[in-house]
Amino acid sequence: MKKLLLMLFMAVAGIGSAGAQAYNGNHAFDGEHKNEVSGYIVAGNNVVTDGFGGLAASYTRHFTPRWHVGGDMQMQFGKQLFSFDAGGGYRLPLKYGSLYFDGRFHYNRYHKFNFNEIIGNLSVIWESPYVDIRLGESIIHYQHTGDGYTEPLTLTFGIGVNVRHRDNPWNLGLFFRNYDEFYYENWNINWGIRFWAPLPKGMRLFGEFNVRPAGSISQLASKYEGSVKLGLKYKW
Amino acid sequence: MKLQHIAIMAAMATVALTSCEKVSPIGVLVSGTAVEDRVKMSSLFYKQYRDEFDMAGVEGDYTFIVGGDSHLTTDPGRMDEMLAIGLENNDLLYAHLGDIADTKPQYYITLDSLLKEAKYRYVDKNFDTDDKVTYYPKGEEHNQENATSFSEITFPFFPVVGNHDITHNGWALWSNIFHSSFYEFPVFVVDPVTGDVEAMDRFIFLDSASGTLGQEQIDLIEEGVLDGDVGSLFRHTFVFSHTNIFRPSSWQFASTFPREETFFLLNQFKKWNVDIAFCGHVHAWDERQFEGVTYLTLDSMSEANSPNPGDYLVRVHVNADGTITWEKVRMNYTKKK
Repeated sequence: MKKLLLMLFMAVAGIGSAGAQAYNGNHAFDGEHKNEVSGYIVAGNNVVTDGFGGLAASYTRHFTPRWHVGGDMQMQFGKQLFSFDAGGGYRLPLKYGSLYFDGRFHYNRYHKFNFNEIIGNLSVIWESPYVDIRLGESIIHYQHTGDGYTEPLTLTFGIGVNVRHRDNPWNLGLFFRNYDEFYYENWNINWGIRFWAPLPKGMRLFGEFNVRPAGSISQLASKYEGSVKLGLKYKW
Repeated sequence: MKLQHIAIMAAMATVALTSCEKVSPIGVLVSGTAVEDRVKMSSLFYKQYRDEFDMAGVEGDYTFIVGGDSHLTTDPGRMDEMLAIGLENNDLLYAHLGDIADTKPQYYITLDSLLKEAKYRYVDKNFDTDDKVTYYPKGEEHNQENATSFSEITFPFFPVVGNHDITHNGWALWSNIFHSSFYEFPVFVVDPVTGDVEAMDRFIFLDSASGTLGQEQIDLIEEGVLDGDVGSLFRHTFVFSHTNIFRPSSWQFASTFPREETFFLLNQFKKWNVDIAFCGHVHAWDERQFEGVTYLTLDSMSEANSPNPGDYLVRVHVNADGTITWEKVRMNYTKKK
């Protein structure tokens, strides 16, 4: 019954696709903690909106070693971007790593441009000690004052690699993907460096340097956006 | 996994990403002249030589023809066909949506020759000359007021730059022929009797070859550089961009603009009161409306990408009564065996 309720919640909250991602990796329930909360600050520059900065917060609840739900929000000033999402997932332990089936539903308000965007994402993530790969699909709809548009299904893909085993208290890695915490795009790749490091009392410092070029493969050198994220994560 | 494994993966990814014969490792890592520099160069040229973009006044109805992604290599057949179709129909101007050639110097030499030959045919059709030095518009009196020279006659071919035009430092080749990737010009519709200007239509060409307009171009747009002279009231506005805004289907993986820039452009096109925005890049046809603006994304007219005859061009009819209609135009050229 409990699983049925959770599946119902996922169906409502995550009608679409695979979604927001703790970019320092999903964290399976370890038998000790059930709650994770994190927050980060972000600052960067975008060619359309110039400099921007903001805050984001995230909460995840592990009901069992297999099932989890969570939500995220962000406020980016400069861009005037405000976002919320909610979703959930199921973890299937494998011999080598875990497979996550993730569903998430987002709302983004691009206030500067007066656009509202809703996104549903469903993804499958294979998370191994050194490599994580995400594949999924997104359905994206945006609305302006007088008109709306639903994009064709958009492929979600990403790959991350760590230099140390995922269970290590500190790590450094690279990522390459066509999505970020709160957006999914077609063939606009963003890539960068990520890290995490231990802090006292079960806390963790994490961060990311994110380069977001515009355009396709032959255009990758085009500068569109660069940003830095720095945050804290706590579990109990 | 050891560090060397990661290095191997990175090397494999690089190889995979560069395996396409049209994308070299240099093209992936350095696209040549970046959008900021291209726009700075283009806007300087545009400001200094704005007269070169001026069109002669037209009377009543007129048409123009649009094609894109010709990816000209060794076979110039489709490009030549587009030029012939426009000349035969007396289209006022040609607009090309970028990726005009595939970046090798010899392809641009071929393109340059084609355009020069087309200009000769255009001048021959539209101008009279007694001495091959001084030219007069057909039907006009041969006097000093109407006299012009071959070099002063503008062949009305107006392109935007595409991503294939900028790899391998292709910008040097492209800009040598077309000079500017960021410009606009008005078309004046005049009364045939009085010569008074009855209406003014606007043609805007954006540099989106890099998948973004870049900071400089966005700043210039926000400053109103493309808005025309103060007080200008435009009857119609047409915009041309290589990168497309709307994706025809889920299977089209060519890049579109990033989120913020998509929303910026949709707002800007509405502000400009754009009638039709033409895009290319994705090699697939798409037609849709968003907030009163018609967005037409054209299929590739290249004989390599579209080997069979098909409707790869669009002709727009701008009517004297202020209405606009458009039609697809068929291309019949097939690659020589």
